[in-house]
Amino acid sequence: MVKKTVILVVEDEALIRMNAIETLEDAGFATVEAGSAGDAMKILELRSDIRVVFTDINMPGTFDGMRLARLVRDRWPPIHLVVTSGLALPTAEDIAAIGKFIPKPYRLEHVIATIRELLDGNASPEPAIKAA
Amino acid sequence: MAPHAPPAPVVALNLALAVVASSVAPLLLLDKDLMVVAASTSFCRNFQIAPEKAQGCQLAELGGGEWLVPQLSSLLKATAAGFAEVEAYEMDLVRKDREDRHLVLNAKKLDYAGSEDIRLVLSVVDVTDARLAEKLHTGLLKEKGVLLQELHHRVANSLQIIASVLLQSARKVQSEETRLHLHDAHHRVMSVAALQQQLAASKLGDVELKPYLKALCESIGASMIRDHEQLTLSVTADDSLTTADTSVSMGLIVTELVINALKHAFPDNRKGAIIVDYHSRGPNWNLSVIDDGVGMPADQGSTKAGLGSSIVQALAMQLGGKVIVTPCNPGTNVSIQHTYVPVIVGQAAALGAV
Repeated sequence: MVKKTVILVVEDEALIRMNAIETLEDAGFATVEAGSAGDAMKILELRSDIRVVFTDINMPGTFDGMRLARLVRDRWPPIHLVVTSGLALPTAEDIAAIGKFIPKPYRLEHVIATIRELLDGNASPEPAIKAA
Repeated sequence: MAPHAPPAPVVALNLALAVVASSVAPLLLLDKDLMVVAASTSFCRNFQIAPEKAQGCQLAELGGGEWLVPQLSSLLKATAAGFAEVEAYEMDLVRKDREDRHLVLNAKKLDYAGSEDIRLVLSVVDVTDARLAEKLHTGLLKEKGVLLQELHHRVANSLQIIASVLLQSARKVQSEETRLHLHDAHHRVMSVAALQQQLAASKLGDVELKPYLKALCESIGASMIRDHEQLTLSVTADDSLTTADTSVSMGLIVTELVINALKHAFPDNRKGAIIVDYHSRGPNWNLSVIDDGVGMPADQGSTKAGLGSSIVQALAMQLGGKVIVTPCNPGTNVSIQHTYVPVIVGQAAALGAV
């Protein structure tokens, strides 16, 4: 059996998170979820199998998704980042620093395609998993 | 004995003093040693100087000595000597027991024939209130921008929640038909969302149609077209701007027509293309969705109109347009045409006169 790519979904809105998780799992990924950037950090510290972090920027809590993205980039360089927000676009510099940005509201097909692109661009030992 | 008429230079001087005194803009007439020759009533009133004390007083000694500003004095002396000019010099007038005032000063050496005396005209504009108003205005504009951003953010997030709920429902229902309806509803929500993103980016009330329609079609194509080599969806449009209200209706019409074409015009993996076209000329415009698929069934009158075509009809009517379906052989062209027809004879005549 092929080991599934693990994606950490960070989103404070439960309904958006639920739909994202289930759709990503249907597309063949394994998922972990967090409702805040702080929770996401705790998960990242405990697990070493997360390959992609898909996070919202604007979330309540001690720090936001942009800060999370920068921390991930700093501490776990191999992890791919896909960042989303309904607020103004981040600066080109921000995007270059973090990875991919998708404005809200997004279509999950677009998110999945972006994640596959990032994984394919990487010399990955795991084969890309085809959509169901 | 009849009084003698005063000599000409005295008349000229009196006229000059009268002109300075009556100036609405605060004005000082100075000599080369910066002594006040004349002060306008407006100057005395604005800067609380007793008019009878102004004349003959040194600039530095006016009022409580607040006009003693070394840099100003040297600038004025240089102006009197002819090698400088005071142009929009800004300074703060600092006085005891009074609010500071921010001033803009201009000084010019007077050029006049027949006299060796050097005279300077110094105009003083108090811009304190204007600057304050400007600052307040800038602050309000900034605040408005922040609020608008916040609003866009909330709308985007709400639309994402709605989209998630619809898709989550589609995942859970048993009936395939219901699932398709929920997916259609999701497309409609995303069509409105694409406009929202366009509006958030534009910072204007109006929407550029071409990028909007392109974003819309990209979004529909990404989720509905499996093989992009087999089926293409493109936009040809001019650089028209429309209001947000008009754009949202047009976007929903395009969404319905494109989804309809994708669902019915290309059965059995038929290769083809869909073009969304928009062109306007004055008040007239034409929005078309053209496909080169299998064409519409001939007996379409007998089938019950679906929600999609009801939406197209209702929105076309709302935009004052007519829906025209033309078989293209192969394919179909559905156009919404908005043609301005003058209703009243007088209106036509008025237009003709233009």
